[in-house]
Order: sequence, then C-alpha cells, then structure tokens
Amino acid sequence: MTHSLSRSLLTAIAILCGSTLLVALILPVGTLVGSAGASGILTAFGDADVQRAILLTIVCASSATLLAVAGGIPVAYVLARIPFRGRAIVEALLELPLVIPHPVIGMAILLSMGRQSVVGRTIAPLGLAIVNSPVGIVIAMFVVSAPLFILGARESIARVDPRLESVARTLGDDRWRAVRRVTLPLARNGIVNAGTAMWARATSEFGAIVLIAYHPRVASVLAYDRYVTYGLPTALPVAGALVIVALLILVCVRATRRVERP
Amino acid sequence: MIQLADLTVHLPGFTLDRVSFTVPSGDVGVITGATGAGKTTLLEAITGVRDVARGRVTLGDTDVTQQPPERRNAGLVYQHAWLFPHLSVQQNVAYGARSGSIVAALKALLRLEPLMPKPVSTLSGGERQLVALARALAREPATLLLDEPFAAMDSELRDGVRTAVLGWAAERCITTLLVTHDAVEAVQVGSVRFHLDRGVLTVK
Repeated sequence: MTHSLSRSLLTAIAILCGSTLLVALILPVGTLVGSAGASGILTAFGDADVQRAILLTIVCASSATLLAVAGGIPVAYVLARIPFRGRAIVEALLELPLVIPHPVIGMAILLSMGRQSVVGRTIAPLGLAIVNSPVGIVIAMFVVSAPLFILGARESIARVDPRLESVARTLGDDRWRAVRRVTLPLARNGIVNAGTAMWARATSEFGAIVLIAYHPRVASVLAYDRYVTYGLPTALPVAGALVIVALLILVCVRATRRVERP
Repeated sequence: MIQLADLTVHLPGFTLDRVSFTVPSGDVGVITGATGAGKTTLLEAITGVRDVARGRVTLGDTDVTQQPPERRNAGLVYQHAWLFPHLSVQQNVAYGARSGSIVAALKALLRLEPLMPKPVSTLSGGERQLVALARALAREPATLLLDEPFAAMDSELRDGVRTAVLGWAAERCITTLLVTHDAVEAVQVGSVRFHLDRGVLTVK
C-alpha cells in the first residue's frame, strides 16, 4: 500500500515537473506567434526583406553544415577510433565554441579574418571579404555550430563496434574502404542527427553573425534589427514568420528521417 | 604455414608474451585455454587487426608482420560472428568474395539457401556463425583463423559443419588455426595443439 502510494506520488511529481518544463519551453514562443497573429505573419511572408533573410539563412546554414560534414567526418573518425597523444586537448578545443559567448567568437573571427587581418588583406585583392558578406556568415555559423556535428558524429562512430571494421579488413578492405562500407552506414542515423542539430543551431545563430555581418541580414539579425529600429509590434510578425519557417523545416527533417528508418 | 616468432602484444592489464609456434601448411592447429587467456587477441594479431609490440608473423612464405590486414589473405571468424547488420545474408557472404561461383558453392556446402531471405538480426547464434564461416571462406583465404566458430551450434549441426569447413580447407590447402574450449574437438581435428594460459603458450 505504502509502496503503491509512493509510486503514485512519484508519478504525480514527474507529470508536474514535465508539464512545467513543457510550458516553460512552449509558452514564450507560443505567445510570440499568438501576438503576431495569422494575418501579420502572412503579411511578413510577403515582405521581400524577410524572404531574402530566410533564403540567406537557409543557404548559409546549409553551406556551413556541408563544410562540417566534409571536414568533420574524418576528424570525428580519428577522435572515435585512433588513440593519440593530445586527443583530450583537441576535444577540449572543439568544445570551446560551445561554452564561450558567441559575440566573443564573432570578435575572434573579426580579429583573425577581418579587413585588417592577414586573411582579410590576402583575399581583398581577389574582391573577397569576410566582413558583411555571406562568406563571413558561413564562417560564423560554422565556427559556432560545427562542434555539435563533430562531437555527435564522433559518438555515433564510437558506437559502431570496431570489430566489424576488423572483419571487413580481413575481407580485403583497406581502412577507409571499411569505414565507407561498414562504419559510416552503421553510424548514418547518428551522423544525420548531428548534421540536423548543427544545421538548426546555425540557422538560429545571432551573437557571432551580428558582429561579422550586419548586412546582408540573416533571419535572426533581421528580427533584431526590426525590434531595435521599429519596436516590438513591428518586429513581431517577422519573428512569428521565422518561428513558423523553423517549425516547418524541423517537421520536414523529422518526417524525412522517419521515412528513412527501416 | 602459420609461423609466429616471439609474438608479443600489450593490452591494458594483459600481455600476450613471446608466443612462438608453427602450423605446417594445410594443417589444422588448435589452441585451447581459459577465457581471458588471450586466444582472440592472438588471432587478431595474426590477421593484423591488432598491433604487435614485438615478434614476427609469417603466413605461407611471407613475413607479414608489417603488412595491413587486407594484404595478409587471412580469414577471421569470431565467436560472436560480427555479421554486418546493415547488409543482407547474401551481401554478408559476398562481401569479400573473389567470385560469384564460390558464394554459390559455399551456400550449397553450408546449406545457407533458407537463410538468404532473412534479415541478419533474426538469425540464431548458430546461423550467424554459419554465415560468418561462409563469408570468410568466400574470400578464398590462404589462412583461416577460427575463434570458436561452432560454439553456438547444436551438436549435430556442429559435427556436420566442422567436417564440411575443415574438409573445404583441406582440399584447398588452407592452413587453419582453431580456438576451442572443447577438449575432444581439439584432439579430433588438431594436428598440432597449443594451450594458452594468461598470455603464455605451451605446446601440447
């Protein structure tokens, strides 16, 4: 009887905590969308600035994610499989962008790749620039969110038993062919999840981008700009439209993943 | 021929210590030993998937110590089988096969046809070992390393499969090293027998 009571009490506490958490997560965004109103959001979707910002955000986040996938999978593999001196230091460096404030990352990118830097001066004669350019936005998105991909991919690869690779090698595969034929297909779901998490993080980035490229404006910078220039009522429809786009994209990604599952 | 000279492997908390032996070409060597004696580590070192600290591995007439696993032409069957779970049974068997005809021959030899449509995840332990044996033999290895590959089979199946596999190996002059816990099996099939005890080898 006492045991049953304590179980009921625990269940009630769990439901209460869970509900509170859900409300805390949903309430701010729900209030924002509700305040923006359907007609306001629809009008915002017709705004050329909003359309450009959404497109720029999607293109830059996708480019940053593709770069991370191309360069990050080998790094993730090495971290998951090959012991080497200094691995803990490399992992700590990779995690650093996750814990330092993003405006600080923006400053670091400005210092290392801005107009006065060696990189900036080198690419300037080619007509290229990092500051106030889509390239700068991609770099900012990459730096702040690629660690999410690399660390997630590392975990997925580490979960694939290395003996499967060993067997593949005794069957004639060299290391990279075994990785391509065995490890990566088995780690695929985790790698896709890590890529999705990185992409989602990149699309919402603000702190680093606002220092690198106020123009052209990505979605987060546009919402901020409307807020500081015109105030909350004018910014609300834009912010609501961006929430709807983010929600639609996430639903599409999840639906695709569900179809992929065997 | 499998020839090991002072083969030493260091693992955390365990050392395979200066193992030396020779299994003549085309013969079957048997290794016995308790769990944790280093039997699997020894087979992995011979295939090259486990780094060796010291010593030499010679397969056939070639010193393969510095060669990667894919160039040693040594098949390995783990007790757990380690089938590729994202591939079908057919794809597993054909993974490293040098020809389609050998896959067909092995399917017939090990009576794998009924297993072909099944997902790998639904196979029993014994069935998994059958597929793993076929997969290793389909590569046409010169050396075959078997880590208790019959352990999950019932006794009737085990005798038939063991006879078929070792017969196939003998016909093709494949030098075989078999790890077993079964003392009777060790005496029945081994032309040379060794015992591993906590990383140290003794000849029986």
